[in-house]
Amino acid sequence: MPKCTINGQEVEVKDGSTIMEAFSKLNEGIAHYCYHPGLSVAGVCRLCIVDIEGNPRPQIACNTVVTEGMKITNKSEKIKEGVKWVLDFHLINHPLDCPICDQAGECGLQDQYMQFGKYSSEMAEPKVKKHKVVDLGPTVVLDSERCILCARCVRFTDEVSKTNELGLFNRGDRTEIGTFAGKPLDNNYSLNTVDICPVGALTSKDFRFRQRVWYLKDSETVCTGCSTGCNVKVYYNKEGAFRVKPIYNEKVNGYWMCDEGRFIYQWVNREFRLLKGRKKTQGQNGWQEDIEAGALAQDAHKAIKAAGDKLAVVLTGQYSTHEYQTLLKNLPTKKVYHWKNHPEKWEEFDGLLNRGDKNPNTKGLVKALSEASIKTDWNELASGIKSGAITTVIVAGPENMAVYGDLEEKIQMIGAAPQVIWATACKSNLFDKFSGNVWLLPMKSYLEKNGSFINHQGLEQNFKKATTIVSEALTLEEASYLLSGQSIPLPKVPSVDTFIETNRRPDQVTLEHRKKNEFVYKRGSL
Amino acid sequence: MSVVIKNPEKSKWYLSGVMGGLVITARHMVTNLFNRKKMMTLNYPEEKYEYSPRFKGNHVLTVKKDGSIRCTACMLCATNCPAECIKIVAAEHNDPTVEKYPISYEIDVLRCVFCGFCEEACPVDAIRMGPEWQTPGINGSQFIYDINHLAYRPQLKGGVVSVVDESERHKSGI
Repeated sequence: MPKCTINGQEVEVKDGSTIMEAFSKLNEGIAHYCYHPGLSVAGVCRLCIVDIEGNPRPQIACNTVVTEGMKITNKSEKIKEGVKWVLDFHLINHPLDCPICDQAGECGLQDQYMQFGKYSSEMAEPKVKKHKVVDLGPTVVLDSERCILCARCVRFTDEVSKTNELGLFNRGDRTEIGTFAGKPLDNNYSLNTVDICPVGALTSKDFRFRQRVWYLKDSETVCTGCSTGCNVKVYYNKEGAFRVKPIYNEKVNGYWMCDEGRFIYQWVNREFRLLKGRKKTQGQNGWQEDIEAGALAQDAHKAIKAAGDKLAVVLTGQYSTHEYQTLLKNLPTKKVYHWKNHPEKWEEFDGLLNRGDKNPNTKGLVKALSEASIKTDWNELASGIKSGAITTVIVAGPENMAVYGDLEEKIQMIGAAPQVIWATACKSNLFDKFSGNVWLLPMKSYLEKNGSFINHQGLEQNFKKATTIVSEALTLEEASYLLSGQSIPLPKVPSVDTFIETNRRPDQVTLEHRKKNEFVYKRGSL
Repeated sequence: MSVVIKNPEKSKWYLSGVMGGLVITARHMVTNLFNRKKMMTLNYPEEKYEYSPRFKGNHVLTVKKDGSIRCTACMLCATNCPAECIKIVAAEHNDPTVEKYPISYEIDVLRCVFCGFCEEACPVDAIRMGPEWQTPGINGSQFIYDINHLAYRPQLKGGVVSVVDESERHKSGI
């Protein structure tokens, strides 16, 4: 465990760790491009230079191992001057594309230039022109001019995805990133290269030109694409969600996430969602549209009451644990069935992150069912509907319908029951196949509610509400209260104001006092 | 508010003041009748005032030499707009040297405060504040100007050419 001193602060690091790791342990800022904690060290950008006492020349922090008693600084005049010139070298052939570059606003080059930039170029020669808008594969577009050749993307495909699609071609200032002939960048982790690109050289086809990044807010949540439960950031604004990026969690996903998970934000947006409740009565043609969700749930409660013990509940693994627990508590039935989509594929695993179980909370549902001591077999549902032992079915339908390949088959099977109450976040043409009485309840998506998912390892991860996309939609918890005939418990507001400022002086005049005084003062002067 | 009356005796003699005012009015009338060039007022709408070329009137989107829209859809004008009246939808252009262009550019003129910040923010001289200032309309007329109106309305006679030319920039190696 060697000790070293960084900018006057002493820090103890693990054996064999680099100066860069010591800097990040201290949260000390250091300029860098090619270094990424999830990849191997390349040492190509030369931007992370530091001064080591007793060493005549600056060394790069990412590739120098800390030894006992090292005295390191990156605040000296020599280093500041050096970083400035290295940055100028990087910018020699970098185009002035910032207005049309998607990375602008979150660009490493822009940020570092504001901090260390030289602000006047020494170059009189014209810039080297390279290829623009190169189609690398189904998800990624390359702009060679903007590339600063940090080779993070090349290392990613070599080391993490192990698909080896990208490479560096040509020499000197004509070097370009590219793919080998006939082998496009097409793997399930390709969009991670866009995340780790410190400039706008690699851009995502899905997000390209759709929004400027400064119009987007972000919120941390859990990916619902599969049972891994990667920690992600969702970027959204009032028009809806726009993209998903991974955030670091050592226990779950490391630094990465799969492309499949990145695209599940799409069904969350308004155009795919069920905005209002819909109802179809037997014998009538077409749907009764635009029914308020709460009123529709209360209407469905009458049908549930009439059904008595002929009621069954079908649950999918796409809701939060708390929602299952409340629903099982509220609805007086033991006929609860777990709808499994392709359970034969559930054990599949691609070796990195993606799993065959496409439900984020299968373990949570199993836990809630065992807590309520419910043990049922799926085949009982079909036979119950056929024999007439089940007349009313409440279905907590899948949020992400694309991964439910058996949706049509199940709709036909459940639709044989005379009354179906189907809770769904998205709309679908398949719902027209119902023949009996149907209530379609609009549900909130995972971005619009608080809750927790239990992933495949049994790790419970909480997520919080990011935004509201369909304001009228219900959570499964609210729906279960309304379906069981109760009124929704409103969040408790404390009667006493619990917010007390800690730095308030005892004799401080509050805003209320000031308002009163103003009126009194004015009235007196009239 | 209080009105302080200083000299109530003097204010009774108002007639001289009134007459003095009438004399000024009559003098102006006579000068206007015989020397119309010195007249301070305009017979709007037959006569119109010529503002300086710096006047910030209705927006104009400039065009390139080939007549296509100069705007690159960088959204800096929309970001800088204090009234939030600019709405742009960007799209991918077929030409890789152009890359990004607006398929929709809308300005809600009723929200616009004509501050000229959009003009200042634009890196490629794609939006300018033109000299037009009379844009009346009756109920139901269109006050959200679309891209065709902003760039190719008849008053512009085929479009105003931008001073920033990408091909010249490329030639000089920037």
